[in-house]
Formats: sequence, C-alpha cells, structure tokens
Amino acid sequence: MSELTARVREIAKRLLDNQQVDVVFGWEKGTEPFSSTPVFIRRPEEAERLVFDEFCIHNLSTYLLDYRDGSEKIGIFVKGCDSRGVVRLLEDEQFTRERLYIIGIGCPGMKDPVAHALAASGLDGNQDTAGLSAKCRQCVHPNPVLYDELLGVQQEPHLRGERFAEVKQIEAMSTAERYQFFADIFSRCIRCYACRNICVACNCRRCIFEETRPQWVGRETNLADNMMYHVIRTMHVAGRCVECGECERACPVGIPLMLLNRKLIKDVNQLFGPYEAALSLEEGAKPPLSRYRTDDPDNFL
Amino acid sequence: MKTLAKTKIEAVLNQLAEKAEVYVPLKQGAISSFGVWSAAVSGENLALESLNTLMSPKSVVLPQTEKMYTFATSGQQAEVKEVCADSGERVIFGARACDTKSLNVLDEVFLTRGYEDAFYKARREKLTVIGRACAQPGPHCFCSSMGVDPLEPAGADVILYDAGEEFGWEPVTERGQALTNQLNEFLGDRELPKPSAAEFRTRVDIEGLPEKLNRMFAHPVWEELAAKCMNCGICTYLCPGCYCFDIQVKTRGQEGYRFRCWDSCMYPEYTQMAGGHNPRQSKHERFRNRFLHKLEFIHERYGTLGCTGCGRCVVMCPNGVNIVSIINRLREVDVDVR
Repeated sequence: MSELTARVREIAKRLLDNQQVDVVFGWEKGTEPFSSTPVFIRRPEEAERLVFDEFCIHNLSTYLLDYRDGSEKIGIFVKGCDSRGVVRLLEDEQFTRERLYIIGIGCPGMKDPVAHALAASGLDGNQDTAGLSAKCRQCVHPNPVLYDELLGVQQEPHLRGERFAEVKQIEAMSTAERYQFFADIFSRCIRCYACRNICVACNCRRCIFEETRPQWVGRETNLADNMMYHVIRTMHVAGRCVECGECERACPVGIPLMLLNRKLIKDVNQLFGPYEAALSLEEGAKPPLSRYRTDDPDNFL
Repeated sequence: MKTLAKTKIEAVLNQLAEKAEVYVPLKQGAISSFGVWSAAVSGENLALESLNTLMSPKSVVLPQTEKMYTFATSGQQAEVKEVCADSGERVIFGARACDTKSLNVLDEVFLTRGYEDAFYKARREKLTVIGRACAQPGPHCFCSSMGVDPLEPAGADVILYDAGEEFGWEPVTERGQALTNQLNEFLGDRELPKPSAAEFRTRVDIEGLPEKLNRMFAHPVWEELAAKCMNCGICTYLCPGCYCFDIQVKTRGQEGYRFRCWDSCMYPEYTQMAGGHNPRQSKHERFRNRFLHKLEFIHERYGTLGCTGCGRCVVMCPNGVNIVSIINRLREVDVDVR
C-alpha cells in the first residue's frame, strides 16, 4: 500500500470518527488492477476501502451535484483539476464552502482506466494507454487550488509543448477543411450525453437538451443535430471549463471535446482576459461571460 | 462441412453486397462498428480478427434514428405522404453469440405477445445473420453466465467456425442453406475441427436472481449501487439488447416527418410526463430501472435475460459501473433489509 493511500484512509477515518463530515468522496479499487472507481464512504470502518493510485482519474467534484440540495457535510479528495471543479461549483453558487472539507493531493498525473480496459478487452477502439492519460498530458494545473489539508508533493505541469498547439492547427485550416474536420468528428457522436453528465461546469438543474417545450435541439443522430448539440455544449462552458478533461475521457467514440473547450479558453482569455477559470475562490468572483462590463469587447458582434 | 477460405472473404462480401446491404465488423479509427461493406471500404478495416466491435450490430434492425413517415398539413387536415418502413435485404457477417442472442431478445420485444412493430419487422424479415463461434472470450466477456452458448450463436442462419486459414461454414436454418447455395462457388468442402468450449475469466451466478429481484424494488442497495453512476447513456447505447426508443417529429412549414430514435432510461426526460411529473426523479430510480429491466422484467415477460454478457458496458463506463459486480452485490444482500 502506498503512503498516499495510507494517508487518505487515515484522514477519511478521522473525519468520519470526529463526525466532521457525513460522507467522504474518494476512490476504491474495482475488479481489475487498472480499475479505480469513485466511492462514497459513510462509516469509519469503510475507510479501508479507499485508495489513491495512478488510476484515480475521476473528477469527484461533479458528484457534489448529487448532494447540492442536502445539508450533509462532505469530505472530498481533490487533485488539481478536481479542486478547480469545486471552485466552479462554489462560484456558480451550487454549493457552499461550509459544507466541504477539502483534502488536496498534488497530482502526479493519472492513467486512463477505460483506455486500459478497452485495450485488454479485445474490442476495437481508441486504446491510448501509453503513459499518462490523454487528459493529463494536457495538464497545466496539477496542484490543488483550494483545500483544507494538502497531501503529496508539489507537482510540475504535465503538459509538454504548447497548450494551444492543436487549437492553432484547426484555426489555420481553410473553412472547408475545418468544416470537414468537424463533420468527421461529430458524425460519430451517439448522443449519450456522457460529456455533459460528467462535466462539473454542466450544473444546470434543467438542461437545454432535455427541454421539450420548446425542443431547442433535435434528437436525430445526424450531423446537423449533433453539431447543434456540441456547439451549445461548448459555448455553455466557455469561460467556465476547468480543463479537467473528463468530457473527452468519458466520450465512448473519441470526440476531441477538449479541443473545442480549449479553443474557447483561448478566446475568452484573449477577449476578456487575462483569465483562467476557477484558479482561486474569491468572494463574488464570476466568469467573464457571467457578468457584464461596459468595456466588454463587442467587435465580434 | 462447407468451408470458407479467409482469402475469399472479400469476394464473398462483394458477392453478397450485390443483392444486400452487408454489415461487417469494421475498424473506424477511434471506434468500431458493424458498418456497410462497399467498394469504398478497405479490407484492412475488416475487424474479423478482433474480439468484437465497440458498437453492437443492433442498429441494423433498430437504427439509432429511423424515419417512420412523412406528412403534409393543410389547415386542419394532415395527410401521410409516405411510410418509410425499410425492407431491403440485409446480411450481418461475423456477429458473435452475445450479439445474435440479443437479436433474439429484440425479436421477442418487437414481434411477440400480440404486438408487431412494423418497422422492426420489415428490417428483420429480410435479415440473414452469419454468426461466428467464439472460442476465446475476452476478459470482460461473461455470455456463458447469461445463458448464451458462445460456440453456437443463437439466431444465426449460418455459423462460422474459425480454423486458422479458413472458416468452417455451417448453415443452420433454411435461410442459411439458401445463402450457402448462392455462395457455393466460394465454398470448399472438408471436415474441420469445431473449436472446443471456451474458458471464461469472468463468471457470475444468476440462479434465482430474477425471482429475488422481484422483491427488491424498494431495497436500499440501489442507492449504494447507483452512487457512482452519472446517468449518461453509454451503457444503454452500446448494449446490444437495450431497445428503448422515443418517437419525435420534425416539421418545416407545412411538411414534416416522424422519426424514432434511441432513448435511454438513464435520462430524466425518458419518464418526463406531459403534466410535468416525473416518476423517476432520482438517479438511483433510473439506474434501478435499467438493471431490473435487464435482469427481472424482461425475464418475467419473455423468459430470457436482457443482458447477454458482451461486456461492452463494463469496459466503457467512465465511472466503473460494472454489471457483474452489481449482480454479485444484489445476490449477497439480504432481501428483507429495509
């Protein structure tokens, strides 16, 4: 058992023993060496189920939404991106800081359990198992930005190369090339909404994609409706995406969702910035597109 | 036994494609699915050596989006212009037992108990299934636990047996025999050994489970099991046996069409009623429905399970929801705990 796993168990047990929290969000081992999965611990003796290893990739902050209407106090283990997810929810007023005890862990970068399962399964698909997961290879903020207690060591960004290199490649395409690129990736969307459901910034109580009166987005799985879905999803998290990469990780058909999100991160920063979402919790702070200023740029209108 | 040399597979597919839409397991970059064989498809993308495709072949009989009819309106009047039931000849080539058995489950749902779905029936009646015996299950496969014989794909018209350089080719229905006669020039004739029973790494005991679940609707274990589920539709859409659909309409001016499209019991909208009430408010209620449907309701109505153990959901769930672990947990809990 690693030292971090031991610390994680010890802290969870302490928080539950002291009744400081009602439930602890962490990870446990699944049925295979590469499966770590989210777990929600309520009894001190169950703290022994917790682990922290290289497959604890899930952003647990999204699960806070399952608890937003309650009053339970929650202990939550967060990596760098997960902690930005917590800030997202606090800034969006979906949760209150008082209900949380946050244990930060400097993140060494994670491997992708699904990619490993897929590679082992014999199913044909996207088997990207080399080293860190695709999402962690893009990571620029591995260290928790908000916590009550901190574990692990300070980490350097895992990104090698330039953050917006892929975005610039797409920007450099001709209109026709770009349309073809988007047509290729969106035509395979199966509209499972995993990218929406796993997203901490997708925290609306009633989602536009569930509206039926009126129905804003058609339910056909065709290029037009799929594009409409993705344009709305991406624009909706513009300036709010915490770059945790969960959407892209969850996508069963390998749509490069973070490429879209990163384009919006780049644009929001250029137009309204300098801005980097959810890097700290400040009283009353709002993302650029959630507030109005008379000097907001409008030359794109 | 008839045989099919692997070098002749493309010729056979070309021949079949002259008269039918032929669906073959295809590698398609980030994904794989049963796609249509055509001149534009390279033989290199044929995924016959892989265990299975990410997307199941259910879309051949139940497309994700299927146009039902077109209409035009005039004042208070509406007129159906064209009914779009699609009855072209189709062939599925190389489906495994988990997927062919699922077709049987879909047949029960769409063709029996006094109701026939005309759209499904039109597709199904002209479908020939060339199944494939599966002797080397993957680590996530558990079809044998769900009453599926991987060596004898149920519902197939022809069964292929892999024997290295060639396939054994065995017609098992009249339709399969007719297809065999058509393809005679491509087939050899010699005895080949049939593969022997496969070893499964993943097994699960379902003895008595449907009956037990009958008493577990209000059991607290569902909240525990659903905790890490995020209610996306991956499992339902990759599942070869999930068949729920919604019927919707698109209009433009005075014209429009009705279509159906896959729906998922994981979505809140699935049970949203016109008056605003939603009988499945919480995620554990939606989650519970999926598992009760597969493991109890379908069994109760049709005497078969809604899960055929293909393992796709186990592999692809981003949060590690695993139907095998769930069944094990359901078996272990005390049914009378409230």
